[in-house]
Amino acid sequence: MVSDQPNLFERNAREKEFDMHKVFLARKFFWPAIAAALLLLLLFVAAYRARPAAAQMASSDGMVCTTGASPNPTFVLTTRTGYIGTPDGNVVFMWGLSEGGNPFQHPSPVLCVNEGDTVTIILHNTLSQDISLIFPGQENVLADGQPVQPQFDAGGLLTSLAPVAAANGGSVTYSFVASHPGTFLYESGTNPGIQVRMGLFGALVVRPVIASDPNGGRYFAYNDAGAAVTSEFNHSPSGEVLILQSEVDPYLSQAIERGQGFNLNNYHPRYWLVNGRGFPDTIAPNYASWLPSQPYGALAHVQPVDSSNPLWYMERFINVSSQPLPFHPHGKNAVVIGRDGQPVRGDAGEDLSFERFALVAAPGQTYDSLFHWHNREGYDSATNPVPVVDPGWANLQYGMYYSGSPYLGMTGPFPPGMSTMSECGEYYIIAHNHALFQLTSWGVPMTGPGTFMRVDPPGGCSPMP
Amino acid sequence: MTKTVTPRRISRRDFLKIGGGVLLATAGAKLLPAFMRRGIELVDVASAQTAPPDLFFAGTDGWIYLPPTPAIPPYHPDTLAPAPFTTYIFGFRNVLGLTPTQIANQKMKAQHTAPLFWARQEVEFRLKLTNLGLQMRPDLTDAHTVHWHGFRDAIPYFDGEPHGSVAVPMGKEFTYVYRPHDPGTYMFHCHVEDVEHVHMGMAGLVFVRPQQDGNTALYPSGKYAYNDGDGSTGFDREFAMMLTEVWAEAHWDDAHIQLPEWSDYRADFALLNGRVYPDTLAPNGSIDPFNPITDANGDLVPTPGYEHLQYQPLSSLVQCNAGERVLLRFASLGFTQSVMTLTGIKMRVVGEDATPKRGRDGTDTSYWTDSLSIYPGASYDAIFTAPPYQGPAPYDTYLLYNRSYRHSNNLEAGGFGGQMTEVRVFPPGTLPPQTIPNT
Repeated sequence: MVSDQPNLFERNAREKEFDMHKVFLARKFFWPAIAAALLLLLLFVAAYRARPAAAQMASSDGMVCTTGASPNPTFVLTTRTGYIGTPDGNVVFMWGLSEGGNPFQHPSPVLCVNEGDTVTIILHNTLSQDISLIFPGQENVLADGQPVQPQFDAGGLLTSLAPVAAANGGSVTYSFVASHPGTFLYESGTNPGIQVRMGLFGALVVRPVIASDPNGGRYFAYNDAGAAVTSEFNHSPSGEVLILQSEVDPYLSQAIERGQGFNLNNYHPRYWLVNGRGFPDTIAPNYASWLPSQPYGALAHVQPVDSSNPLWYMERFINVSSQPLPFHPHGKNAVVIGRDGQPVRGDAGEDLSFERFALVAAPGQTYDSLFHWHNREGYDSATNPVPVVDPGWANLQYGMYYSGSPYLGMTGPFPPGMSTMSECGEYYIIAHNHALFQLTSWGVPMTGPGTFMRVDPPGGCSPMP
Repeated sequence: MTKTVTPRRISRRDFLKIGGGVLLATAGAKLLPAFMRRGIELVDVASAQTAPPDLFFAGTDGWIYLPPTPAIPPYHPDTLAPAPFTTYIFGFRNVLGLTPTQIANQKMKAQHTAPLFWARQEVEFRLKLTNLGLQMRPDLTDAHTVHWHGFRDAIPYFDGEPHGSVAVPMGKEFTYVYRPHDPGTYMFHCHVEDVEHVHMGMAGLVFVRPQQDGNTALYPSGKYAYNDGDGSTGFDREFAMMLTEVWAEAHWDDAHIQLPEWSDYRADFALLNGRVYPDTLAPNGSIDPFNPITDANGDLVPTPGYEHLQYQPLSSLVQCNAGERVLLRFASLGFTQSVMTLTGIKMRVVGEDATPKRGRDGTDTSYWTDSLSIYPGASYDAIFTAPPYQGPAPYDTYLLYNRSYRHSNNLEAGGFGGQMTEVRVFPPGTLPPQTIPNT
């Protein structure tokens, strides 16, 4: 319930006026805008390797950014409802926010902005209850130009952590200056026990602006260029990975879909997801056609770190669930360089980073980490064979992501009737939630909050003849 | 003909790990002081393919003991359990040195936790695994693997994750080869159907000794947790503290051909080295991984008076002399949080997840605490200095326990149990030097 109906009405009216103005501007500048966009597109294509991520130009792997025009990016987020697929074959009703007129997606878009940007988010609400957005880690957030304050009803009861977009068509415009780089989330501040769990959340990434860096800080997590140890990460399109962890109680979703009440004392998650998908869907490409409402993959697609590929890769962890989640990457540690959008450094700049093979993110917490895979032993079938006699397929059980060979870049014979997913002898190395009862999907084990690190041979994957 | 086992680039952090970068290149090993050279052994590749294993595990099922009262009908105690046992498990057994007949005899004789073992930095370690099948579940034909959890840069072939790698079917064998480069405390477990196999008990602790070991100039014992370069991780005694849990319903389900709904998980029992307090104080069975003691059939030999702990051989009792430094190696393969608290003695956390507590620029990030929050899959190295002996009892007693109380009882209303053990501090010079961990 909102406290002040007349004011709200007035604000909505102003909102509509503002929208009409925008429409007019949009028409006036339509063709010039198209021309500019085409030019921009050409520039992007020319500089593809150096600047991979723009909205809807996603690489098949790696974090997909929705971007706006710096220094004043504006995002129009509209509520949508729809269904997501889970690894047990279920479909679950969810809410989400979509950019512009896009159809339902889960989770909500990954908003990427630059340090110093004045970020505007216009929230349109088509749901039958008031909603809002909060931006933990951002300072001086405005709602319709006024400082965001918690909302109370006439009786003094807290109704929302931020001014709302009223039910059934209301809107609100939030804005803030993204004053420091890092990984953040945005989520509903109204009835969050229902609304966040139904899907009103997304990632917000603020990139540093480093004048001395020709990429403007695009491949740094923080403003630490020139420090003894930095946050610079690999420049490849898939060099940056998002691990956004969430949970779903299908009975909550069912109750909401049917317009029924739900007693949150009975809340009991049955699904745990990464980027809105459950393993093995997590390793499918971004925008996989068979996951129409779950656009974001979580595959970490890398090559071994060596002298020709020296930079480590970047993983941004966010936990939007209700409990701490321990995430365990096989074969690599997460070197944590940022926490809750702050570099892990002392006041004098000393490096306080730490390595974890079980990285525990608390509810609402974010971590920035660097990782790599180093072909440390350099096993080679001719010059440096693995120091065992391979028992072969007749004496072992092969996994479908095994290549049939211990060696990176090689494939080997597979059991009759079984095929491998391996294209070129690349390695598939898992990373997953280690509270293992959660590595399930309502009873189906080894699904849910897991993904792979795919390690291609140096130089990339050339399918075997 | 020969090669060193360490063809690796040395990162800045490694540089710091080895205390100022004395060890610049393995090629220069002969220039190193003897204590550091000792770890760099040469391996003949051709013969190495058939070299004997350092350790030999068999995966199978079995029974262990947890306090039968209060009962959790119908799940606990399991009515199928032969006395004095209560709880069905899957697990590993150390079958090093046994004959093929003796090995076959170990079906249905798994232990929990899995055998503790350790390796040395830069020394190749070969772990052979066989799969004896599950006697209680002839309908299940599960393969097994060993996943060394936290081993950096493992190739899938030796990682044990069955989707991207190989697993060991019943009656077959496979040898995992590890070339450890990073000292610290790790854990290992079977990764096949891992929610089930880990929870059923195929989980244990493993650690890697640093190359700095043997250098008595930095700490008199010459034993260290890490290559600290300054003796800050030196210790006199070490104790593995492997944290696991038992959800009675899931264990019962596996014995009775049922499936649990894993999202209903809860920890009925929280175990320390496979036992609950006060059994955690009971003596060790055969725990030296490299010199296992068995009976003529290859079975574990129960300690008289502790027959119920025949398949839970690892003690958690910490005994030390006043003034000694004691390293506690914690690792958790439970599914929920543990908060291990040491009353009356502060611990210095010197390592997390097999990494020394230092920033990438060498900044010391170790810290003092009296309680450690440990989540599933995490490990910690914590060192305390035993306080002065006060008397008049033969030893002073301190408690190490899980402050999350439902993990430090045995389901009783009140009382103590679960993840709890005692630290006993004797007058200086009482106990002889420690030879193997947890003794």
